[in-house]
Amino acid sequence: MFSLFYGLWKYLFSKMELHVLILGIDKAGKTTLLERMKSVYSNIESLPHDRIVPTVGLNIGRIEVANRKLVFWDLGGQPGLRSIWEKYYEEAHAVVFVVDAACPSKFEDAKSALEKVLRHEDLQGAPLLILANKQDLPQAVSADELARCLDLKKLEERVHMFEAVSAYDGIGIRESAEWLVEVMEKSKRTEMLRARAGAMGQGPA
Amino acid sequence: MGLVFTKLFSSLFGNKEARILVLGLDNAGKTTILYRLQMGEVVSTIPTIGFNVETVQYNNIKFQVWDLGGFIPGWLWANQYQSPLLLPIFLLMVYCRGFLSRPYWRCYFPNTQAIIYVVDSSDTDRLVIAKEEFHAILEEEELKGAVVLIFANKQDLPGALDDAAVTESLELHKIKNRQWSIFKTSAIKGEGLFEGLDWLSNTLKSGGG
Repeated sequence: MFSLFYGLWKYLFSKMELHVLILGIDKAGKTTLLERMKSVYSNIESLPHDRIVPTVGLNIGRIEVANRKLVFWDLGGQPGLRSIWEKYYEEAHAVVFVVDAACPSKFEDAKSALEKVLRHEDLQGAPLLILANKQDLPQAVSADELARCLDLKKLEERVHMFEAVSAYDGIGIRESAEWLVEVMEKSKRTEMLRARAGAMGQGPA
Repeated sequence: MGLVFTKLFSSLFGNKEARILVLGLDNAGKTTILYRLQMGEVVSTIPTIGFNVETVQYNNIKFQVWDLGGFIPGWLWANQYQSPLLLPIFLLMVYCRGFLSRPYWRCYFPNTQAIIYVVDSSDTDRLVIAKEEFHAILEEEELKGAVVLIFANKQDLPGALDDAAVTESLELHKIKNRQWSIFKTSAIKGEGLFEGLDWLSNTLKSGGG
């Protein structure tokens, strides 16, 4: 009996962690974005940019935005490593897809990777934030222009936004994080994941 | 090379005592890696319980190396089907290995910042057991906060699996609450080791898992 009430108490009042996947092809700036998020929202000093090496695995960032606990999962984007992305889909509340906006020759690769992400059924209903990164570079295209270049079909039924950011100097980072929290709060997928966590007797993690 | 390593790690840990566990099945190349890093003398201790721990003290970091997979020698793995006598012995050892050796490990767990897991990428037969041992050790309560660096070692051998294939075999995607990274290495040639340790030092610096 006690454990039942305890479970209910936890379910209602503890803060549930929201999982955000950071995806994108290699050299898009995913780890730099994660480091920037960490330095903006917590007092952890971010790594100097020259020390960030290509990710071959998983980087994790835990931050608190608007009283919500976010856990970022940053996965490597080299072609051979993209096969593990989908193993993380089921538990993700939202997806951030990072694109190097200063490198139009890679848009095609980014587009096909993103389309594959969108098609996957484990990510149904997950809000999607597409970042036109590297706005610090003069040749970077704007968010609208990136949307036009990527020309994604299946976006209509999904909560999504294009945002121009620079992980390097911090442009657009707060706006991005706040948008994520806002849409995840409202999303049916969050409710669904929460219900499932409750049903499995684990309570909110 | 050794000097670079000194700087890297002294800036990292300050004066705090730290521990890095270097784990893997026997013959994965763990000791060779420590020799490669030129971190002083490797001291081998063989306690009576038949559980062999090598310790390398490097400034204030203790590297501790031991074999997972219990006491099952490599030749038995290779020849388990050769005679009708060996197979039951083998199966009994497989069955017992967990609770025979794990209690002794635990005294090595406190203050562990990182685990370096070394895999022989060419030993495809034993990758399943390497996977099981790996996930068993990650379950340990005292190691929950440790970050994980995986060395897909022996890349110089023909038939060695690459990093993506080792990732798949070890089911690394099941790790969701700590940071991990995998590097292709050849301890014999000294390749890939420093890249991996660079990642480790960056990760521990930026707050770990």
